[in-house]
Amino acid sequence: MNITHVALRNVSRNIRRSILSGAAIGVSAMAIVLLFAFISGMKLDMKTNLTTYYTGDILIRNQTYKEYERYNPIHLTVDEKEVRQALEGIDGVRLAVARVRFPSTFYINGGMNPAVGVGADFTREADFQDLDLILKAGRFPEKNERAMLIGAVLAENLGLALGDSVTVMSTTAARGTNAITLKIVGLAAFPVGALNTGFFWTDLDTARYFLRMYNGDSHEILLRGEDDADLDTISATISERLSGSDIPYEVKPYYDINELYSFMVIAEYIYYVMAIIFILLGSTVIINTTMMVIFERMREIGTLSALGMKGKELTRLFFTEGLIISAISSFAGVVTGALIVTYLSKVGLNFAEAMQGVDMEVSSMLYPQFSLWTTVFVFFYSVAISSAATFIPSRRASKIEIVDALRYI
Amino acid sequence: MKQRILLSVILCALLSLPLSAMSAEQIIEEMDRVETFRTSSSSGRIITNDRFGEKVSEFIAYSRGTEDSLIEFTSLAERGQKILRTQKNLYLFYPDANELIRLQGAALRQSLLGSDISYEDMTSEHSTLDDYDASLEGTETYEGREVYVVKLKGKTRKVAYPTQVLYIDTETFLVWKGEYSTSSGRLLKEMTVLETMELDDRVIPRRSKIVDVMKSDSYTIMEIDSIETDIPLAGDFFSLDNLTW
Repeated sequence: MNITHVALRNVSRNIRRSILSGAAIGVSAMAIVLLFAFISGMKLDMKTNLTTYYTGDILIRNQTYKEYERYNPIHLTVDEKEVRQALEGIDGVRLAVARVRFPSTFYINGGMNPAVGVGADFTREADFQDLDLILKAGRFPEKNERAMLIGAVLAENLGLALGDSVTVMSTTAARGTNAITLKIVGLAAFPVGALNTGFFWTDLDTARYFLRMYNGDSHEILLRGEDDADLDTISATISERLSGSDIPYEVKPYYDINELYSFMVIAEYIYYVMAIIFILLGSTVIINTTMMVIFERMREIGTLSALGMKGKELTRLFFTEGLIISAISSFAGVVTGALIVTYLSKVGLNFAEAMQGVDMEVSSMLYPQFSLWTTVFVFFYSVAISSAATFIPSRRASKIEIVDALRYI
Repeated sequence: MKQRILLSVILCALLSLPLSAMSAEQIIEEMDRVETFRTSSSSGRIITNDRFGEKVSEFIAYSRGTEDSLIEFTSLAERGQKILRTQKNLYLFYPDANELIRLQGAALRQSLLGSDISYEDMTSEHSTLDDYDASLEGTETYEGREVYVVKLKGKTRKVAYPTQVLYIDTETFLVWKGEYSTSSGRLLKEMTVLETMELDDRVIPRRSKIVDVMKSDSYTIMEIDSIETDIPLAGDFFSLDNLTW
């Protein structure tokens, strides 16, 4: 007797019940595909934002900066020249940009409004990031120009427009205070909400002058590595080269700096465990259906046993039925999930309102990432778990005595 | 005859009253008189010590009476920056800013150049009794000097420090020590005079130590190098126009 053939016939015998059994597994598989695509998109988005606006692939800064960050330690700097010398000849380093970062206040109509300033060399930044992507209106500040590029939302909230001038106050590297008036020459639309609502960018040398950083010092040097670069090895090499300096340098890849990104990596593993629970939940339906089928087909089981079918063959029959339902529904689930992900990866998901006021390096527009490997993995994962789940009630069929089964006739 | 004896006794008793018979208000008025000049010009430095080390800011200060003062910073990092106080207003002038910054509200609580002195500390009026009720807590010896211990309670909530305890020299009316607290008695700031100098008939602080208790590992030394009084100052010297000049 061809068990697969019989199993297929049994599955198609009550198609509605088979669809119901498989639906839960299919929905679970689809949800998991979406979940992984969402996490993957979020991780990629966070990596892009982190490496573009916050850390680079590798961040070089003063080791004590992090410790005293809450005290606004503008004077804890690194020497850009010294770092560039140390970078010479290191394979895998594509380019480096220096930035200064200074919490400040805008003095507008007698009121103080907080904003974070970033001083950057826009000529170098053009190679480091896609500047056209963030420029909403106007232009970038020129070298030594007393001008700023301001987050569009920040400008709107403060009633500022292109051409306006703003007096900015900040602590200086000399640990005093200073104020400077900057003209708004550009409006920026950063992908990260926090950058739009609280940041402004100015020329690096203008920022250095304002903050009394006379020696070309910077708060951070951001490195962009080659695509296949080993960031840990590069970081170690740079650290070694800078170890003789008077400045205590900290050289770290982006994933070792941002706690949230590290959490995302851990979260991915947690989601694998959650996926098992999802599938098991979905499998409860197929377990339930298989058990019901066994009771409904007690006469058939009795007849088949009387005709000489062995217990193991009966188990295989019901297990194969479960396997077929699992495979078809998992396939349908992952295909549906993949189609939704493909669509969402193009149009994106807008979390602008939900992300308002959230200080995370995640864009307000998220694009789930389709991964063939993940989809295939989820398919086999779902089939394996749900099939294993049907094995429990299937074994019950083999333990039914012929006499007991024939009583149902 | 009996009346004459009684009068003599009363006169003798009045003349032999100890110095502490001065009322708290009289002590505070005398303290204000010692601290206030018709006009003055002084130079000195603010030395801030915190977790990052020592920072020195040099200044020249001008004052007229109790209300007007102008501080101009001369050290390299802050050169050209000025603070103008007129009555209850405080203005900051920065050479690279196109406008004057008027500090008000919570902004007054900001630290002056990272020191333990806040801008709010500079806005307090010298006519202390306008803002505070004074009570004499007694006398004691402080660093070998006899001092009045006077407690000040703010009349309104607008004062920077609702409670102050001042240790005022019984002879010179110099405030040797000041404890500045919230209305519930939580200490916020402490000032002690480390060194004094004589100017005309007055004794004034030359070196003072200010500790903002809310900041850990931090204290500020205020030093006066030289001071001149009753100097000629133009009528518009403390004006906004003159500030941007």
